[in-house]
Amino acid sequence: MSEPSAFVEVRGVCKGFGVGSARIEVLHNLDLEVDQGKLLAVVGPSGVGKSTLLHLIGLLDRPDSGWLALDGREVGGLDGQKRADLRNRLIGFVFQYHHLLDELDALDNVALPLRIGGVRAGRARARAMELLDAVNMTHRAHHFPDQLSGGEQQRVAVARALAAEPRLLLADEPTGNLDRANADQVFELVRELHLLAGLTSIIVTHNEEMARSCDDVYRLAPAGDTFENNKDV
Amino acid sequence: MSAELHIGRRYLVGLRRRTHVATVTLISIMGLCLGVLALVVTLALLEGFQSSIRSEIVARGAHARVVPSVGRRIEDPEQLASVLHEGLGQVELVEVVNGTCLVSSLTDAVPASVVGRSDVLEVVVDRVLAARLGVGVGDELVVISPRQRLTPLGPLPVRVRTEVADVRAPEPGSGEGGAVRLPLEVAQRLLWGTDEVEAIELRDPNHPWNLGARARAVLADAGITARVQDLEELHRPLLLALALERVMIFVAVGLMLVVAALNLLCNVAMVAAEKRHDLAVLSGIGMRPRALRRLFLILGTGIGLVGSTLGAISGVAIAVILDRTRALPLPRGVFVVSAVPFRVEPAMVALVMAVALIFAVVASWLPSRMVARREPAEGLRYE
Repeated sequence: MSEPSAFVEVRGVCKGFGVGSARIEVLHNLDLEVDQGKLLAVVGPSGVGKSTLLHLIGLLDRPDSGWLALDGREVGGLDGQKRADLRNRLIGFVFQYHHLLDELDALDNVALPLRIGGVRAGRARARAMELLDAVNMTHRAHHFPDQLSGGEQQRVAVARALAAEPRLLLADEPTGNLDRANADQVFELVRELHLLAGLTSIIVTHNEEMARSCDDVYRLAPAGDTFENNKDV
Repeated sequence: MSAELHIGRRYLVGLRRRTHVATVTLISIMGLCLGVLALVVTLALLEGFQSSIRSEIVARGAHARVVPSVGRRIEDPEQLASVLHEGLGQVELVEVVNGTCLVSSLTDAVPASVVGRSDVLEVVVDRVLAARLGVGVGDELVVISPRQRLTPLGPLPVRVRTEVADVRAPEPGSGEGGAVRLPLEVAQRLLWGTDEVEAIELRDPNHPWNLGARARAVLADAGITARVQDLEELHRPLLLALALERVMIFVAVGLMLVVAALNLLCNVAMVAAEKRHDLAVLSGIGMRPRALRRLFLILGTGIGLVGSTLGAISGVAIAVILDRTRALPLPRGVFVVSAVPFRVEPAMVALVMAVALIFAVVASWLPSRMVARREPAEGLRYE
């Protein structure tokens, strides 16, 4: 049997914010590998760099130094256009706040990644309707975000993240803004879709119970005056 | 329809959802609309007045003037007139001589302009000269020429004794000293003593502005060397002043459009700030920086299109209503028109709209560049 290949590879990545004496180094010399098809939970106290790590892996930000590869391809040196194309084709995002566009209804919000990827409106909307069906939101397809509850908004956001059939799903505290019942439902939905679509997924969470139910857990923790990364699989 | 066009359209059409973006967009549209409206109405007013002045020029004076290329006298005016008549068809031709004479009444004598014209049949004195000499219709007038003739008593000035047939308003450009108009033969006898004329004036009420060019062509075909002054040359200082006035007013009132464009720039920048998270998400789900830039250009262009179209429609409507209802009357006798005239030139409206649109695109270009340069994580970091 062949070894599972790493879909996400992070080597010696550093990332800080601010300049001079106000500079804070959030990630220092971080190494991480996520195998294809795995569901990884990233946990740690606030401010330790969980979201920053997710942003770097999701090509939303650039590391100060280090090496980053997705699907075996080095992506650190790509220009803005190519990074945008990779985000559209390869990566699906679910944010803590749903971040649906207020001016678009649920259906158009879900269809958006496909429209950005150049899919024609009719096909994109048909695919979006399938995804809304998968998250049990068909009946709310033509409602605007401010007409949906928090749980419903997050379900639509999950559907949007999967619209372009990505291979990597990144979720930044997707349940952080929901009550217990809705949080459980959304997490179960993410896990179910992860398995169904055969995704590689990384979920940032504060919820230990959810983290324990994932394939792997990656713990980020500060140690002393510097930041240290403690991997506890 | 591309994704950025779809979203840009929703940002504009989403006005009914009463978001903050909608309010900001509405303010930008109103700013541009008012700027375009003011410019359209002002230029219609200016065009109305200028067109009245141009109509007055066409109604009163000659439309072209043929003068000798050298010297002051046309030696064979009959032949020249017949060539022009044949070449130009239905055109009014008037032979003219000009000079200065001493004009005296029973009580006074003053130097005055003497104009001899082939279309004048009786002696006409303008009001200025009539007032200076104290004469009216039916009074005797003696016109004394600087030219002398030899008599048994020695050289004596040539003189004509005549009777005032009419007193009229002064002709434009007749001078401050007043003028008397005489039949051509009388003026020729007084001034030159020959049948020569100084100029042939042409009038064609149907096509006044190109009459000069047509006359030039006819004379060139006939091999006659004479100078033709067209309507623009005859009234060059006035027409230049009118053109300059139009440019200056366009620039001055156009500054309103610059203010509206700056307002648009601020508002689009506010939208960019308010929609920071949306833009980060759009970027996060794969919208290219170029497409993000286009989204804001679409927003600015949309605002420019809606604002300038609304402004142009309302400006044209206001100008037409004010002109047709003659809502702004003017004192009689002071102006050549009895109400403030408005005249809408479609080309001018199109130019104003184009300028407004260009300003809108330029104003949205700056925020669009700012948005495209941002890393998506910047918009997501501080939630």
